[in-house]
Amino acid sequence: MKKSIYFKLVILLLIFQGCSGDSDTIEIIEKTDQSNVSDNNSKSTAEFDRSSMLSFWADSIILPSIIGFENELNIFNENVANFTANPNANNLSLLREQWLTTYKKWQYVEMFDMGVAEEIFFKNRMNIFPANVERIERNIKNQKFNFDESANFAAQGFTALDYLLFGVEQEDDTILTKYSDSSLNYDDYLIQVTSKMLELTVLVKAQWEGDYRDSFVQSTDNNATSSINMMLNDFVYYFEKGYRANKFGIPAGVFSGGPLPNRVEAYHGEMYSKILSLEATTAIENFFNGIAYNDPETLGPSIKDYLDFVESGLAERLSERINEKLQGGRTKINELNTNFIKQIEDNNTSMLHTYDAIQSTVILFKVDMLQKLNVSVDYADADGD
Amino acid sequence: MLTTLIRFWANGWIHTLYIEPEFHFKYYGFSWVTDFGNYTYLLYVICIISSIGIILGYRYRLSIFLLFLLFTYTELIDKTTYLNHYYFTSCIALLLCFLPAAHYFSLDALKKKKTIEAIPSWMVDGIKLFLCIVYFYAGIAKINSDWLIEAQPLSIWLTSKYDIPLIGELLKYKLIHYTASWSGMLYDVFISFFLLYPKTRKIAFLFVLLFHIMTKVFFPSIGMFPFIMIFGATIFFDVKWHKNILLHLHYLGIKLTQKFDFLKSKLTSKKSITLFKPKKHVLPIFLTFFFIQLLLPFRYFAYPGELFWNEQGYRFSWRVMLMEKKGYTTFKIKDSVSQKTFYVDNTDFLTPFQERQMSFQPDFILEYAHYLADHFENQGHQNIQVFTDSFVALNGRSSQRFIDPSTDLSKEIESFKHKKWVLPLEDEIYGL
Repeated sequence: MKKSIYFKLVILLLIFQGCSGDSDTIEIIEKTDQSNVSDNNSKSTAEFDRSSMLSFWADSIILPSIIGFENELNIFNENVANFTANPNANNLSLLREQWLTTYKKWQYVEMFDMGVAEEIFFKNRMNIFPANVERIERNIKNQKFNFDESANFAAQGFTALDYLLFGVEQEDDTILTKYSDSSLNYDDYLIQVTSKMLELTVLVKAQWEGDYRDSFVQSTDNNATSSINMMLNDFVYYFEKGYRANKFGIPAGVFSGGPLPNRVEAYHGEMYSKILSLEATTAIENFFNGIAYNDPETLGPSIKDYLDFVESGLAERLSERINEKLQGGRTKINELNTNFIKQIEDNNTSMLHTYDAIQSTVILFKVDMLQKLNVSVDYADADGD
Repeated sequence: MLTTLIRFWANGWIHTLYIEPEFHFKYYGFSWVTDFGNYTYLLYVICIISSIGIILGYRYRLSIFLLFLLFTYTELIDKTTYLNHYYFTSCIALLLCFLPAAHYFSLDALKKKKTIEAIPSWMVDGIKLFLCIVYFYAGIAKINSDWLIEAQPLSIWLTSKYDIPLIGELLKYKLIHYTASWSGMLYDVFISFFLLYPKTRKIAFLFVLLFHIMTKVFFPSIGMFPFIMIFGATIFFDVKWHKNILLHLHYLGIKLTQKFDFLKSKLTSKKSITLFKPKKHVLPIFLTFFFIQLLLPFRYFAYPGELFWNEQGYRFSWRVMLMEKKGYTTFKIKDSVSQKTFYVDNTDFLTPFQERQMSFQPDFILEYAHYLADHFENQGHQNIQVFTDSFVALNGRSSQRFIDPSTDLSKEIESFKHKKWVLPLEDEIYGL
């Protein structure tokens, strides 16, 4: 630091001399094209096109992941029809398989909580856990319920499916018996949950296929309602809440004083919590680094590039530290038991260490990254001085 | 002032800042100040009425006194909202309490049919001196390595203002950041001298206009401050200038002119001057005020460590726009006997604005830690200890741990003493 201060003093003097004389241009403006934004290491001020970052997000990440998810959900819907028509062991396992595939795709969608998704509480209705088992059972029994009520949020979506496919009975045989008896209405509830999920997903997709996409891409300003700020806020919020707290912190008991293994994602399916969290990790890494949803080889302008742009000239890059930390978190997750419930019951310390590793990334996101990009996390609208 | 208050109300800030929060961060020694729930609006009503009184010059003494008291009171409710320009407003209001500012061109004067044409010059000079102090101290506070050599925090702030029409695209260049930093510093340090010196006054005022309008363009969120300073700076002009403005005002409205006819004649004549004689205690009060004003900003010398980091002696010192600080602070509640721990969700207790301010200011962190300790004790938890997991980034540096994680904050007591549990900044900032 000390050395660099003297160095910069000299530079400063030079700059000011430059100003007093014939104003030579000191800054070299280098127009970098997208392909080498990421390895641009020169000391010049590179250009950064915010609008093209937004269109890459919309066209190559957000909409494709919603469509990818919707496709799998449609297949799942067909499987539900098959299963309810013929509730046998084979159809059940097919259904469960497709449930997992769809659930994995969901991990790429959850963080985009804006516009219609936010208005209809998309993420809360698709994946709030733990499931409200009592409520689900009551809904099934009464046949009278409204999925739009917030009290029913934990009685629909993936968590409800988790319970319906794995938790209504201990053994597969008895589960099948429940679905075989139509008078019990389990089959009907399964159908209704699924079609609601499809209905909501279509709404969200329609938004991104409509005018919303253009206004999203055009809103490049730096204020509370502009796209970049909303997206960064959603991303950081998702990382902190949806990813860190919901998947790891809460079940490990970070906020409660004691572990709560029944709070893991996909609790009734038991062995899927790790797979799902790894998928979410990939979704996060891909979004941060601008990796297209449909083709991991396609790179576009990203948060990482944006950070490198404001840090141009610095030797140590924040984006690199973030990627290292994300990788560190992934390593920790990989060491965990496939079944988080078992992991928490046997050795919660590893779960807590995983949480800590993820927590250190939260700090880089919320403190360092948002400072560098000067994006506010709250927008408490008050004066400053 | 009136605009400030109305703006405050219109933006719904009374509610979000004073009534909504479950708990308020108090100034040390002012923990007795509280909000009155919805009656807080009443405070504002009185403030608004008094500021109208001041503008019209109606019952001036009472108005300014009420305004000073109540405005200061609202500021004391929660230090989260501390702003230098609110403090500035309070100080000016205090000084104005002792000035006969409504003895000319006012309803009071109209009523009494008499005016005072002259007051001892030291009274107006007092206001001038105060403005000089504000500028000068703000200026020398900028003489530090972050501001001048790293061009921080302006580098961060200006780069992110890319959306300002026309000039936005230029704001990413380092040269602009350095120019802004250096000229800002030079402006603050020297402007008052140029305003004081009659020959340079007009030019200097032009700079005042330019500077504050620019800050308003770059940082719209600084609110009314630029306007307050621009109007404040007119005090440097002599009596004639102000009288001329008043005369121009007269010509604008006929009714006004008629009523103030007797004033008009006086505005133009130079005879029959009545001198205002302040009470004896006023001069000592002024002197004490300035004595405190001159010394208070330097109180940070009494503390070890980096001022920007520890913020011990940062407030009330005219340190404006010097820091871009972001923090992330979570609290761990521990039962010292059972060793059980859990983390607190800050959003359960704090508004987002409070959480942001709390996360990088040691006194806020301590006060909140005590609040949490009390809260959980009342819930029946026992043997409570409060630890923090706190990270802060300052002026573009990487974040580093802020509070010693092994300190049980529930055992630490707020005072003016140095807070040893704030870990030192792993870097050095040179300068004043």
